[in-house]
Amino acid sequence: MNKPAPEAAPARAPTDWKTEAMQKRIRRRYARERRFKLFGMLAVILSAAFLAFLLFTMVTNGWRGFTRTEIALPLDFPAMAMKIDPAQLSTPGANLALAGAELEDKVSNAALAAYGAQSVPLLSDAAWLKVREALKADPSLLHQKKLLWVPASTQVEQGLRGNDAAAAPLAKKLYDAGKLHTGFNAGFFSESDSTDPVAVGIWGAFKGSLLTMAVTFLIAFPIGVLSAIYLEEYAPKNRWTDLIEVSINNLAAVPSIIFGLLGLAVFLGSWSLFGMRVGPLLPRSAALVGGVTLALMIMPVIVIASRNAIKGVPPSIRDAALGIGASRIQVVFHHVLPLAMPGILTGTIIGMARALGETAPLLLIGMRAFIVTPPGGFTDPATVLPVQIFLWSDEVSRGFVEKTSAAILVLLVFLLAMNGLAIYLRNKFETRW
Amino acid sequence: MTDAHPAPHKMSARGVSVSYGDKQAIRDVSIDVDMDHVTAFIGPSGCGKSTFLRTLNRMNDTIPSARVTGEITLDGEDIYSSDMDVVQLRARVGMVFQKPNPFPKSIYENVAYGPRIHGLAASKGALDGIVEQSLRRAGLWDEVKDRLNDSGTALSGGQQQRLCIARAIAVDPEVILMDEPCSALDPIATAKIEELIHELKGRYAIVIVTHNMQQAARVSQKTAFFHLGQLVEYGDTDNIFTAPRQERTKDYITGRYG
Repeated sequence: MNKPAPEAAPARAPTDWKTEAMQKRIRRRYARERRFKLFGMLAVILSAAFLAFLLFTMVTNGWRGFTRTEIALPLDFPAMAMKIDPAQLSTPGANLALAGAELEDKVSNAALAAYGAQSVPLLSDAAWLKVREALKADPSLLHQKKLLWVPASTQVEQGLRGNDAAAAPLAKKLYDAGKLHTGFNAGFFSESDSTDPVAVGIWGAFKGSLLTMAVTFLIAFPIGVLSAIYLEEYAPKNRWTDLIEVSINNLAAVPSIIFGLLGLAVFLGSWSLFGMRVGPLLPRSAALVGGVTLALMIMPVIVIASRNAIKGVPPSIRDAALGIGASRIQVVFHHVLPLAMPGILTGTIIGMARALGETAPLLLIGMRAFIVTPPGGFTDPATVLPVQIFLWSDEVSRGFVEKTSAAILVLLVFLLAMNGLAIYLRNKFETRW
Repeated sequence: MTDAHPAPHKMSARGVSVSYGDKQAIRDVSIDVDMDHVTAFIGPSGCGKSTFLRTLNRMNDTIPSARVTGEITLDGEDIYSSDMDVVQLRARVGMVFQKPNPFPKSIYENVAYGPRIHGLAASKGALDGIVEQSLRRAGLWDEVKDRLNDSGTALSGGQQQRLCIARAIAVDPEVILMDEPCSALDPIATAKIEELIHELKGRYAIVIVTHNMQQAARVSQKTAFFHLGQLVEYGDTDNIFTAPRQERTKDYITGRYG
């Protein structure tokens, strides 16, 4: 209390807030603030511009992928003289019977008869398939003459769109004669890969993605969340848990292709164990092995996000529950987990979105195969949307450029839906304090 | 209680020391806690009074580096023995914390949670009864009876703390530990809690940690003065405040340090 007073400082002149120097300093301060705001705005505008450019390119390239040009094809079924019994058409053997009756050739001949020999093919490879489906749907057609609209060849389609100079005059002529029309391509959503861009669809890849995501989620979510709970709530804090934490953080940054190699070596490789040949553990090219590989890849992301969410639950809530005699597991499942759930779900969905967009590891485990039939289950050969996009982008035909962009749009919509779901879940389960 | 022999103590600590890693937090504390009494722990910040309080229901177990030696008994049973179930112990020795910490759930759920996990209510009606009785004892029933489904976190600070007391009462404890229950509250809310402590003391053994000496004098019958991790003096509150035997106690209560 009675310490000696410190050495008296020299009397301080009152601050004059109106001097030139002071005013200048204030002006500089405001200028700095304006500059910072300007830079921030520029950064936002720049990123928005890139996004807009991406979307614009995709939409302008891709919207035509959702349309298909069809050509009028007069078919005289009695004149084709197909050796086939109409009753056979409603049996499972119908496809085989029609192929045996050389339907494909007969459809080509019908086009030749209707339009004469042309320098470019008129019909899509899939045109006869449409005739086949029409016959199966209505076997009485076998005794009729009928005009069917079938998919036109990619050359004619691109000629009509002004992308194929060689086919353009013919396409123009046919269009003016009313023999061509372009409409919504429902087949793009219900069919799978094909060699003919007119006939391709994304259903197979989409279904493959869904199956793969299901496997990924079912493996990565429970294991990731339980690991996070164990590490946060139960594990002792020592050198080993530090090591595990560092390893998990590093795993989250490992390039995805490494996980592909891991999946290839562990799940698809075979090795000798005590003199016995073991493996491959999982079928090649299937949604199962893809899902497991992607689960390994996103598990660290889920663990990290979940740990942060669990850490964010105030300790006072744990104390409160422990203080009235809740056991550790009751504390975790009744209090900590519900409060951490929004964060866990957000992290999981971000991880799932990453897995959905992943291509490289799946190439290594054989999911880049040319898959014409949609996978029927987890062990069937499958491909996924981004790999399908990658495969189509390799094709030279102009028709595939449109299909690539269209598939990208579908993938983007899928991703946006997932992120929307993440935001919805976060808001729904968020606790306001 | 009016027996010629003194009633056995509800809780007794003998030679209790606590260390966090290398750091000794409290050293060789022996103290008794009785039914029908409010026991106050006073002392300057960092003297170990809260640490000691947390040994009484083994809340220190949650801190990995904490090590407790000595003996603490509840009704003669060693609470650190391997036979003692810590979950049951904490139900019998409830705790109210410094900062009101209701669960982010409804008022009803806050109070009903404890009875539910311990299976204390046989039916929904019995649970309703426990909730009402606990809220009444905590002096909160009239304020919240029409909004039991509102969030517990929407109440005012003082109401939240009384909700936490109701939550502790709901599991029918024998001892209630209060760790500076009024330090985050305004004077009016503090007065209400002190009044509540008076009403509760007949039913439960209450131990309260406070750094407010007036509060200790107002609410307690026994006071323990802690300093630098040691129990300096323990006795009837009246004696501690009027005729402390130790110089350090006298210095503290007359405001020489702290």
